[in-house]
Amino acid sequence: MREIINKNTWFWASLVLLCGLIISMYLGVYYYNENVKYQRLYREAIERLHHLRTHMLIHILINYGNGTKIWYNETEVPIGSSLLNATETIAKVDYQLFKYGAFVTAINGKGGDPGYYWMWYFWNSTSGEWEMGPVAADAYILHHGDAVSWVYEKPSW
Amino acid sequence: MRTPLKKISFIGIMTSLCIVTNYMLIGIPNVKFMDLFVFVSGYTMGVFSGALVGVLTWLVYGTLNPYGFNLPTLAATCTGESVYGITGGLLSGKLKLETNGSRFYENLWENSLIFGVIGFLLTFTYDFFTNVVTALVFEIPLIPCLIAGIPFALIHEVSNLIIFSLLGSVIINTIQKLIGGERNYQ
Repeated sequence: MREIINKNTWFWASLVLLCGLIISMYLGVYYYNENVKYQRLYREAIERLHHLRTHMLIHILINYGNGTKIWYNETEVPIGSSLLNATETIAKVDYQLFKYGAFVTAINGKGGDPGYYWMWYFWNSTSGEWEMGPVAADAYILHHGDAVSWVYEKPSW
Repeated sequence: MRTPLKKISFIGIMTSLCIVTNYMLIGIPNVKFMDLFVFVSGYTMGVFSGALVGVLTWLVYGTLNPYGFNLPTLAATCTGESVYGITGGLLSGKLKLETNGSRFYENLWENSLIFGVIGFLLTFTYDFFTNVVTALVFEIPLIPCLIAGIPFALIHEVSNLIIFSLLGSVIINTIQKLIGGERNYQ
């Protein structure tokens, strides 16, 4: 073995260097790729931050009254949007305008059943309960982080 | 030509050893003693035995595998693994290890370095081959597939460098002392 090693010292030394080269190549490619990835994520984060100067995030729940409840978390809407505007960004909304405001008649085609209406609620984080919306959907201005829900139900009155 | 019973037994034992250690180390991805055992099988018992141990091991481990079964991948791993055994068999006549006690320890560092280098380069070839096959089978673009495989390949290759370095010459000498190599009984 020693004779073989002595005869081929340069050969084995080259192979050792080749192993080192492969490891270096791996690390180089891997960290270059990581660098590119994190630069892209950083750019995306900056763009998102810029975007949030003019937009806000809200959470909307649509309860179709038949067991289907769909959450639209972190929905991005322009600052100053009303509930009606925000709902229109996530669903097809039919409504009629009256003197007191917009009256939603259908969401995503669901509506019009006798005695059933689309009611809306907002989440009161202080009391920890859903509270009925005090005004029409187009008159309620949302704020960042608000959670609101639409429920298709037969009102208790 | 009659196949020696000793050789068949050896292939069975080495295959069992590979499978057992694979399942034992299943929680540590890409760190396996199998590659060394397949190489050692080829080195001590010849090209065919080494290749057969590699193929048989993967036929069992690749079929009954918690990470799933995929035929083209199994074919690739069988082929790739057999390269360890074939290379071991081809190097058998060229790397004459010292089985004499004192001489063996004299050359241990050199032998370890050589086995480490062989283990690393063989594993690099195996990883490259299996990654290319994976990319083709699952229709993933080749370059991203190779880049995504870098951490796993690095673990596999460095661990094999260490395993081959530390255990390669020791196991080969032990087997040659206990049962003799291919040349001793064929």
